[in-house]
Amino acid sequence: MNSLFTLAQTDYPEAMGALTLAHYLFLSAAMFALGIVGFMTRRNLIIMFLCTELMFQASGIALIAFSRFHLNHTGQTFVIFVLTVAAAEAAMGLALVVLLFRKRESLSTEEWAEMSG
Amino acid sequence: MDALINPLALYIACALGAVGVGLALPTRGVSWRVPGGILAAGAGGLVVLLLSLKAYDNDQLPNVYFYVFAALALGSALRMITHPRPVYSALYFILTIIASSGVYVLLAAEFMAFALIIIYAGAILITYLFVIMLATQAPVEGDEELQADYDAQAHEPMIAAGVGFVLLAVLTTMIFNGLGSLSPKSDPVAQEQVVLESLPIKVDRILDEAGLLQEHERVGRLGGEGVSKAAINIERRTIVIENTQTNTTRSLSPEQWPKDLSATNTEMVGSSLLVDHPGAIEIAGVILLMAMLGATVLSRRQVEIDEDAKAHEARRLHSAEASS
Repeated sequence: MNSLFTLAQTDYPEAMGALTLAHYLFLSAAMFALGIVGFMTRRNLIIMFLCTELMFQASGIALIAFSRFHLNHTGQTFVIFVLTVAAAEAAMGLALVVLLFRKRESLSTEEWAEMSG
Repeated sequence: MDALINPLALYIACALGAVGVGLALPTRGVSWRVPGGILAAGAGGLVVLLLSLKAYDNDQLPNVYFYVFAALALGSALRMITHPRPVYSALYFILTIIASSGVYVLLAAEFMAFALIIIYAGAILITYLFVIMLATQAPVEGDEELQADYDAQAHEPMIAAGVGFVLLAVLTTMIFNGLGSLSPKSDPVAQEQVVLESLPIKVDRILDEAGLLQEHERVGRLGGEGVSKAAINIERRTIVIENTQTNTTRSLSPEQWPKDLSATNTEMVGSSLLVDHPGAIEIAGVILLMAMLGATVLSRRQVEIDEDAKAHEARRLHSAEASS
C-alpha cells in the first residue's frame, strides 16, 4: 500500500499489468473523443487547431503507455516525432489563420463556407 | 477472453457522456454548462470506477496519482472545448498539457514529460496565445451579447457529441476486449546492456564514485581503438576492470555491483533515437525547416507600392546618400 502513494518509478523495470494499461488507454481515448467533438462543434479557426493538438496529445499518452507496458523506448521516441509534427502544424496552421483573418477580419469558419467545393 | 468491463455499462456511460458534453458546449440563451459538465464527469468516473474495481480484484491498480492527473487532464480538456473565450481555451489546454506530463512521469518517461512542458506549454501554446490576442477583439466584461457569434454558439453540439462518443464507445470496446490477451514482449535487460556498454566513461565515473576503482584503473574496454565498449554484463552483473599501467584485469563480483549503475530514461531514449531511427531525425528536421519557411512565406504582408511612390523613395534615398 505504501508504494501506491510514491510518485513514479520505485518499481520501474517491473512489467505493468494489462488492466493498468487499460486505465491509461481509456484516458487517451476519452481525450481523443473530446478533441474530435471540439473540432466538429467549435466555429473558431484557432480553437479547431487547438482541438487537433488535443488529439495529438491523446495519441502521445497511448504511445507512452504502450512503451511502458512493453518496456521498450521506441514509443517514447515516437512521441518526439509527434511533437515535431505538432509544432510544424501549429506554425503552418497559425500562419494560415493569420492570413485568412487579414482577408475577412473574422475567425469564423462560416466566412469561408464557399471553399467547401 | 471476455471484456474487461460490462459492454452495456460502457455504452450507457458513453451515451451519458455524449449528452453531458453536448449540453456543456457553448450556446446562446439558457446555459446547461454546469449540469452537462457534471454529467460528463460522472460518465467518465463510472467507466474508471468499473475498470478500477476489476483492476483491484487482479491487484493491478494504477498509481494513485493517475486518478488526479487523469481528472485534471480530462476536466480541463472538457473546459477547453466548451469555453466561449479562445484565450481561456488555450490556458485550459496548457493545464491539460501539464497534467499529461504528470501522466508521462507515472509511465517512467521523464524526458518526454519535460520536453512536453518545454515544447508544448512553453513554445507552441505561446504562439497560439499570440495569434489569439492578434485576432480577437477584447470582450466586454460580463456582456455576453457582444461576444462574437462564432464563439458563443457551437455548431450542432448534440450531433457532434453523439458521433464523437460513438467513436469513443467503439475505441474503448476494442481496447477492453483485446487487452486481456496482450502480453508484454520485450527484453529490457538487453536494451539496457546495449546502452550502458556504449557509455564506458559514465561507467568509469559511477565505479569511481562507488570507491571500487584504485589508481590507474578503469572499466575494461572491448573492441579496438575508437569504438570502445565497456566490459560489463548486466544480466550476470559482472564488471571487468583493467589497470592501464600494468595491463592486468580483474573482475568485480555481482555483490559489488554499484546500485546506481543503470541507464537513465534520457540515455535510453537518446540511444533509441540516434541508433534505431537516425533517418527519421533527418526527416523531422526537414519538416521543421519547411514549416518555418512556409509560415514565413504565408504570413508576410504584401506591400502595394505604385510607380510615383517608388520614384519618390528612390530620390529620398539618393539625397540621403549624397548628404552623408
